[in-house]
Amino acid sequence: MSIAQVKRIAISDSPWPWLLPLIALLAVFTIYPFIYNVWLSFHEFVPKSRGLKFVGFANWVQLWNDGRFWGALGVTFLYFAVALTIEIILGMAIALLLDAELPGFAMLRAVLSMTLVIPPAIAGMMFLLMEDSQFGALSYLLGLVGLLDKATPMLATSSLALIGVLIAEIWQWTPFMVLIFMAGLRSLPAEPYEAAMIDGASSLQMFRRLTLPMMSRVIAVAVLLRGIDLFRVFDYVFVMTSGGPGTATYTVSLYAWQQTFSFLKWGYGATLSLTSLVIVMVMANIFIRVAKVRW
Amino acid sequence: MATVEYQRIGKSFGAVTIMRDISFRIEDHEFVVLLGPSGCGKTTLLRMTAGLEAVSQGDLMIGGKRVNDVHPRDRSIAMVFQNYALYPTMKVYDNIAFSLEVAKVPPAEIKSRVEWAAATLNLTPYLGRYPKELSGGQRQRVAMGRAMVREAEVFLFDEPLSNLDAKLRAHMRTEIRQLHNRLKTTTIYVTHDQIEAMTMADKIVVMRAGKIEQIGSPDDVYDRPASKYVADFIGSSSINFLPGTVVVDNGGPAVDTTTGRVSVEPSPALKPGHKVVLGLRPTDVVVDAGGPLAAKAILTERLGHDAQLFCEGPEGSFVAVVDKAARFSEGAEVRFAIPPSKVHVFDAETEIRI
Repeated sequence: MSIAQVKRIAISDSPWPWLLPLIALLAVFTIYPFIYNVWLSFHEFVPKSRGLKFVGFANWVQLWNDGRFWGALGVTFLYFAVALTIEIILGMAIALLLDAELPGFAMLRAVLSMTLVIPPAIAGMMFLLMEDSQFGALSYLLGLVGLLDKATPMLATSSLALIGVLIAEIWQWTPFMVLIFMAGLRSLPAEPYEAAMIDGASSLQMFRRLTLPMMSRVIAVAVLLRGIDLFRVFDYVFVMTSGGPGTATYTVSLYAWQQTFSFLKWGYGATLSLTSLVIVMVMANIFIRVAKVRW
Repeated sequence: MATVEYQRIGKSFGAVTIMRDISFRIEDHEFVVLLGPSGCGKTTLLRMTAGLEAVSQGDLMIGGKRVNDVHPRDRSIAMVFQNYALYPTMKVYDNIAFSLEVAKVPPAEIKSRVEWAAATLNLTPYLGRYPKELSGGQRQRVAMGRAMVREAEVFLFDEPLSNLDAKLRAHMRTEIRQLHNRLKTTTIYVTHDQIEAMTMADKIVVMRAGKIEQIGSPDDVYDRPASKYVADFIGSSSINFLPGTVVVDNGGPAVDTTTGRVSVEPSPALKPGHKVVLGLRPTDVVVDAGGPLAAKAILTERLGHDAQLFCEGPEGSFVAVVDKAARFSEGAEVRFAIPPSKVHVFDAETEIRI
């Protein structure tokens, strides 16, 4: 291509020269894998022939009848709901506290974002150590306040393992909520609060009638971003419990990973991941509709 | 209903004192306007009255009670903010009802009070709307409705009309004044617009740099400005200032200025040789071929009912309101006269009225 030709493309009114690179990237890294995934869910890998065989809806039928899948879905939903609820409430509470202009608070706000720098797998390793019943600091402290029996290995007890993983999740991601909420709080206008003060509203009334509704958009964005991320939880459970003990912390992503890479059931793995994609899309769309604000 | 009294009120931010020794009293039912340019402290004084700003020195009395340390909600006040400060997530009805809900007024009474306020302010069709779905004037009225239902004893207005266009502003001016005539609630109204002050106030408090310059009725402030500053601030067409020296002329006092010799009313304070500044309102100056003042005509600006004649005198611009039929050719010398009773004399040094 001559320089003149490049120049002509650069100044043309056509959108295609600018869109094509992006379309190419999307096609290679998103659209093709997606279509391949759909195609794969109707096939299965046959180790003997080292090839893929068309199996029709067999994978989907298997999914419907697979107790382990439904169990994993239940765990995923539980993980998602508990983590999201606690991260929102805790995030909002911390954001409200840190919003004050007190000495040292600027530093605290800066320190907050540090957990987000740590790779989740490393954070998982850290908590794995801290929750060890022999020498884990966290286990020791929980034992001191009477929340945990000292002899109980948290991550190896089916009733406690999910809580153990959630602690790491919440520790790492609550600051993310705090940052989003704090940005939202900072952008709120001051006057309605002055008016409410004169109108006689208490702090709680101001929070309920002013702050929460005015923050609804910000909260919705945080829920959406975090919610999608939570649904595909993998790193913490993989590092900390590998889904165990038993299936106590078995999530859909972990199950799909195991089917695909450990058992080489590529077709079934694709079916599992496709299912979780559909669930996330449906939930996100319902949420966007419900959370629409009119004011 | 209540009186408001400021007793040696002062305000400091850290080491910086922006206001000291403010003392005056607002009577029951009175409509008082705090007037001054931005930064003169009028809004700070209003916010201190509301309790949104702490009082640094002195005593603030509402209804005879010291309220320095009283929470805003317990001061019996209602406030209309410059940007209306409506609750964006509540509909008009809830905006107006909020203070009543907070005060646990029975729902039936809330409804009747909100409906009364809405009817008074012509807001009934908009009760189900959100603030962002209203025009500026409507928002303004919602803010007023919110103040009205509170049965407050003092209304505080912080430049409530500054975000409206000129026509709506004139309209809301009369509406606010009519509302006051009906409700008779003691009102403190902050503005930098002298027309609002002149048209609405029972009493004007002119402020400058954290101090009170003059307190008086609109007529007082216009006819007998206490200082050069007040004379300059009040009046639609800006007053003309001519520096000069007191002399005796035909047995009476007069002032020699570079523009001409002006007779003034006798006063014991006027001694020959005294340096003064004369204030001549454009509306008081008349074109008179035998008059003592002379200036060169530059431009006539027609205003409809009359015209403003801009002249160039030895002291710079000189303005007179003239008959709109009169014609002046550019550069021609025009002579003016002014009755001694209309001449404002200020000390050149202190700028205070003599």
